[in-house]
Amino acid sequence: MPVVSAVTAAKMKRVKSTPRPGWQAYAESLGFQFHTIDGEPYWDESAYYQFSLRQIEQDLEDVTEQLHAMALDLIPDILADEQKLDQLAIPAEYRDALAASWQRGDPHLYGRMDLVYDGSGPAKLLELNYDTPTSLYETGFFQWVWLEDQLMRGELPAGADQFNSLQDKLEQAFANLALPQPFHFTSVRESIEDKGTVDYLLDIATQSGVDGRYIALEDIGSLDGQYYDLQGEPITGLFKLYPWEFLLEEAFAEQVKTSETLWLEPLWKLLLSNKGILPLLWQKHPGHPNLLESHFDTGKALDKGWLRKPLFSREGANIELVTADGKRLSEPGPYQDAPFIRQRLQPLPMFDGNYTLIGSWVVGDSAAGIGIREDNSLITKDSSRFLPHIILD
Amino acid sequence: MKRSKKAALILMAPAATLLLAGCGEQEQEVHVFHDVDECAAFYHPPAACQAEFEQAQAMHTQVAPRYQNQLECEADFGAGQCETAPERHQSGSFFMPMMMGYMAGQMLNRGNLAGGQAQPTQQAAGGSRPAVPTQPLYKSRDDRSTFRTASNQAVASQPGVARVRPSAVQPQRAQLVRRGGFGQQAAARQEAMRRDARRQRSYGS
Repeated sequence: MPVVSAVTAAKMKRVKSTPRPGWQAYAESLGFQFHTIDGEPYWDESAYYQFSLRQIEQDLEDVTEQLHAMALDLIPDILADEQKLDQLAIPAEYRDALAASWQRGDPHLYGRMDLVYDGSGPAKLLELNYDTPTSLYETGFFQWVWLEDQLMRGELPAGADQFNSLQDKLEQAFANLALPQPFHFTSVRESIEDKGTVDYLLDIATQSGVDGRYIALEDIGSLDGQYYDLQGEPITGLFKLYPWEFLLEEAFAEQVKTSETLWLEPLWKLLLSNKGILPLLWQKHPGHPNLLESHFDTGKALDKGWLRKPLFSREGANIELVTADGKRLSEPGPYQDAPFIRQRLQPLPMFDGNYTLIGSWVVGDSAAGIGIREDNSLITKDSSRFLPHIILD
Repeated sequence: MKRSKKAALILMAPAATLLLAGCGEQEQEVHVFHDVDECAAFYHPPAACQAEFEQAQAMHTQVAPRYQNQLECEADFGAGQCETAPERHQSGSFFMPMMMGYMAGQMLNRGNLAGGQAQPTQQAAGGSRPAVPTQPLYKSRDDRSTFRTASNQAVASQPGVARVRPSAVQPQRAQLVRRGGFGQQAAARQEAMRRDARRQRSYGS
């Protein structure tokens, strides 16, 4: 039986803070080019969130690892059930390759799960971003630098810590994965934000002794069932910051079945980055305190207190919701062709007029830290701001 | 402790600066700033920032390029960007560009923080002097973003850490040479970089 704590749970705090003078130029000198996006702040150090160690360890770290294990545990069930693969819209011609990637034990590097949590009560899983998670650099590096800097300046109480072992864990993962060498990293050419994330991973991998090389996604070549880099060498290992569901629809997709390329993330991650994992989790663990009731969508009108989102969507696109008092909210986007799921609406908590979302990172199978996004809407979009956090009891 | 023990970058930080091509010679890490406040904002002890700045300022009057008149100087460095030099010639003063920043050659990185590994300052062969002397930096009229040494060697496109070949940045006493073509090439590249820096759609989630 779970032990009910006698202590009244308090919310985490949002603490106003003075931005470090000149931090923008400093950020840019460290490769953080996208701290401001289209003139709007993205990195926001005008406030930070303060958690207790109990909140971090009990409500976030443990819960993250538990949810992660529950998700992995579903994979054999799904692979053994064509109906579930249909529900997840996994293309029939790639199901064998996907199953093979799981059965071979192709390694996975990282993922981020989005949680609704206000510091009291159980964190609720909104979704798993398990294929192409971003906000990695700002979480693992710049947030860490912020903490160290503010501690040195005496702007934060001595002893303040942060739930953020992301870079340490990534470095260990790259050292332990035994990746083929050289190992390539790719993203689309025009996205400066994606390039920033890939550069960061490439940097960490290099520090771990990996012979890492960047190649723009558009530059990857294909011949006789293999992928090639610009020097004409086969690509034996590839980290891609580009969704599997897109790759599988493109001209070179066929070679996924034949190439010797080891992919990060592996093809089996297509099952977990899929919003369809949410109803499947609910079916297997109905009423779990960290899950929100979810079902595959039947197309009916949304009831109050529910939201609808596509199996594959990013940055809040194509989400529609009806609040408990009947207010309808929707976010347009390019993902309207995929099937949808519906999920019971757990409104994001509000702090000083901001809706707050927690991104909780997993490296390998370990919880590795959090990053916080704020938006002015219940739907967290690519326009949201990233705020740092501390742990202080 | 719930956070990483260190968070170093070895590729990203120097990638943000204009690199000097090395040819066998080992590059050295230096710090480039507009002024003392900026140096301190980059997480360096203000007193060290001030000391390095004063050293660069003292060198400025010795190494800044000299021009026969203000117009010639402003043709290279921009209107209002020149001042009189200490020397005089028959029909008046020499002019020289104002100091627009400084390069600190011997400021150590702070431990294991951003910008990477703390490297011991390289020693010049046979001596105890640092291989890169602290010195003033300038900006040309055509390229306001690039820091250049008095002898027109581009060292960085933004404040922070840069890597230079020590032999390329040895200060020399100013000579009365005519200078021109300061930075058109770099300006074009910089402009192209700025155009690319608009937000494009991310494929992450």
